[in-house]
Amino acid sequence: MTDKPQPPKPASPVRKTAARAAQAGVNVIWIVPIVALIVTLAIAWNSFRDRGTLIDIEFADATGITPGDTTLRFREIVVGQVEGVRFTDDLSSVVVSIRVDKDVAPYIDDESSFWIVRPQVSAQGVTRLDTVLTGAFIEGYWDAEITETATRFAGLERPPLIRSDQKGTWVKLMMDDADGLSEGAPILFRGVEVGRLENIRLSEDSERVRVDAFIRAPHDARLTSASVFWDTSGFSLSLGSQGLAFNVNSLSSVLQGGVAFDTLISGGQPVEPGHSFELLPDEDTARSQLFVSDDSERLRIAMLIDDSVEGLSKGADVQYQGLRVGSVTDIAVRLGQDDQGAERVQQLITLTIAPRRLGLPEDATADDALELLSREVAAGVRGRIASSGFLGTSLIVELVPVPDAPQAVIDVDADPVPLIPSVAGDLDDFTNSAQGLVTRIGDLPIEEVMNSARDMMDSITAIAASEETRAIPGALRKAVEDGSVALEDVAQITSRLREADSGQSIATLIEDATAAVNAVTEAAADMPEMVEQIDVAAAAVEEFGFAEISAQAEGIMADLRAMLGSEDAEQLPRNLSDTLAAATGLMNDLRDGGAATSLNDALRSASVAADEIAKSVEALPALIRSLQATAGRADTLFASYGERSAFNNELITTLRELRRATAAFGSVARLIERNPRAFILGR
Amino acid sequence: MSAPDSDHKGPILTAHRAGLVGCHRCGRVWPLEQHRCTRCGAHLVPPDRRGLQKVWAWWFAGLICYVPANLFPMMRTETFAGLAGNTESTILGGVMELIHHGSYDIALIVFVASVIVPIGKFLAIAWLATVAGQPATVDQAHSRLKVYEVVEFIGRWSMIDVFVVAILSALVQLGFVASIHPGPAAVSFALSVAFTMLSAQSFDARLIWRGLPLRRATD
Repeated sequence: MTDKPQPPKPASPVRKTAARAAQAGVNVIWIVPIVALIVTLAIAWNSFRDRGTLIDIEFADATGITPGDTTLRFREIVVGQVEGVRFTDDLSSVVVSIRVDKDVAPYIDDESSFWIVRPQVSAQGVTRLDTVLTGAFIEGYWDAEITETATRFAGLERPPLIRSDQKGTWVKLMMDDADGLSEGAPILFRGVEVGRLENIRLSEDSERVRVDAFIRAPHDARLTSASVFWDTSGFSLSLGSQGLAFNVNSLSSVLQGGVAFDTLISGGQPVEPGHSFELLPDEDTARSQLFVSDDSERLRIAMLIDDSVEGLSKGADVQYQGLRVGSVTDIAVRLGQDDQGAERVQQLITLTIAPRRLGLPEDATADDALELLSREVAAGVRGRIASSGFLGTSLIVELVPVPDAPQAVIDVDADPVPLIPSVAGDLDDFTNSAQGLVTRIGDLPIEEVMNSARDMMDSITAIAASEETRAIPGALRKAVEDGSVALEDVAQITSRLREADSGQSIATLIEDATAAVNAVTEAAADMPEMVEQIDVAAAAVEEFGFAEISAQAEGIMADLRAMLGSEDAEQLPRNLSDTLAAATGLMNDLRDGGAATSLNDALRSASVAADEIAKSVEALPALIRSLQATAGRADTLFASYGERSAFNNELITTLRELRRATAAFGSVARLIERNPRAFILGR
Repeated sequence: MSAPDSDHKGPILTAHRAGLVGCHRCGRVWPLEQHRCTRCGAHLVPPDRRGLQKVWAWWFAGLICYVPANLFPMMRTETFAGLAGNTESTILGGVMELIHHGSYDIALIVFVASVIVPIGKFLAIAWLATVAGQPATVDQAHSRLKVYEVVEFIGRWSMIDVFVVAILSALVQLGFVASIHPGPAAVSFALSVAFTMLSAQSFDARLIWRGLPLRRATD
């Protein structure tokens, strides 16, 4: 502003110093950015320094791994974080980069192992369910020794079953096949789980299977070089002479197999890690294979045989005086020469014999055993194949004294092992006899017996059911009724005769008539007897109703009826009644006439009549006799079929036998049904 | 630096040119001899480019703090006690995440408040401190003043991010289910904002007018 005349005054010296002081003060403010810079740099340096080491782990895939999120854990403590996931150059796997905390990084060395932890469902159960929520993480394991660190690792496909810090012993198991065994299968010692199997793999030549077995401390102290391992996988079903044996181990064994071991004999050495054991198929084998763990030297010896060795297998027993002394270790075919020099194929069976089992001292060598065997061979011991087992299906090698054997010695120089002389086994005989047994069983005419029995039963049924048999009692009753009718007729005649008793003059007539009547009565008295006999016969028939009998009986009845209905029989009463009518007429005439002359005539005629009656009555006994004869015939016939008759006895015996046979068949059938083994074994 | 007295005839007269010193707090002008404003009691300091050192010092401190504020995570979200994972997000990371989730508006707000505004402030303060006291037209001086006022005004709102983090970490403490913790970036960011505000406050606005020509160039 121009209306302000005074120019501004120069700064006073006082103000200048003040300005300088201010200037100096301004410099102080620079401390702030410097401090800020220092702090920031320090933080940056710190975080850079704490960043830890980057390690790369190769996995087949990166399931569940998220960069920046997935952690690396050691004993469940987070010690790192996944920073990135990338592929390998050939895209065959993924590389997970993990930033490991600085304080644990030095421990991570070549022997560290890493695996991805995910929820897992296995025969051992469901594990790591927590990772469903948290997501998978990578777990690592390393020991506490600081050695040269490594930064690149191959991740494991699954968590190791045994952590390397667990105390125990690793041994190797060898087996022919790993059927039923799986990784992580338990190792049992008297039923207690003491370890696990891991890393099932084929041997280099692919002929065996190897498994690493880990036995935890302190149980590994029970493991010696004399221990035997056997497979307890699944369940076993065995049919032996003591019946059916069914063994099931734990469910876990069924699912993933298992191995058990035991130290059955003392004297084994403590095992070094990596000691190799043979895994035997089952406990029985293991227990009978004691000498497997016998450390002493073995004698290997071979024998040549011509027989078939079907049924002889590797591992078959070698028995000496009934004791197991070794086993068959090899069966081969060899082209040999017989006595005539012709070529022939022979079986070369290699035996391994434990000298100790021959009764030699503990430190006996194979040579000692060979020497012993040489002596024995000189004394007549030979090798031969024998059958063992229940049906003789499995074969063993026997060293038995053979009497009258030709002189022979052990061929010590044979290649590759000494040859022991052999004789033909007693195999064929047994096979034959077994076959014969089976053939005989097969040849039993069971079917025919059954057929005849059935036919017999059918016939009996048919007889019993036939109309004719049923008709017999009816016919008999009819016959008896006919008989009683005839007797009634006779009774009528007699009563009429009695009525005619009015005329005293006819005493003779009466007497005659009485005689006639007596005769008739006699005849009639015979009738019950006959009826009784018929009764007996009927009873007999009822007891045994057979077609022939019934036919004959019917014939007899027909005779009987024919006889009763014959002219004679019918005539008799009529004659009698005629006579009596005539007598009555005579009496009437007498009463009417009363003449003596006519009486004589009458008496004469009466006497004639009486004579006629007597004559006719005389015919009656003949009739009765013939009737009696018929009845007797029937009686004899019936008697012949009667209770004590030979035929009857025979029949009864036959039937009884038949019933017993049937019962026997029935019980046999039931027995077989119940226990089929009995068919072969007997009860 | 005071302009030579002989040039004192321009149309624009400042207190300084008038040999006076203005109180930077209440605006009362005093003679140069006065050391303390008797009205408000503030210390009277004549405008001086050397005072810009203070601006620059705070500015650098703010800038230094702004770097970790962007590199370190702003807040850490723990769900299910860390089982379902921890989410650590930086400022830019959070913006990217919001964009991924389709919340463009919120992403824009966060981006503007946390990135554009601080950076704009740095640029504005740096520019002001550079051009302060240099010759300028009246219009230029006016626009500088406007910029300064905007920076001053915005300064107190720059803490939005820190507020959000502070409120969230106070509210979201649901224990097992979820919890939010402030990250190191929150502190850095707060410091950065504070330093920037101090830087802006240290700027002596009177220097804007120091560069005006003594007389109107066009006149």
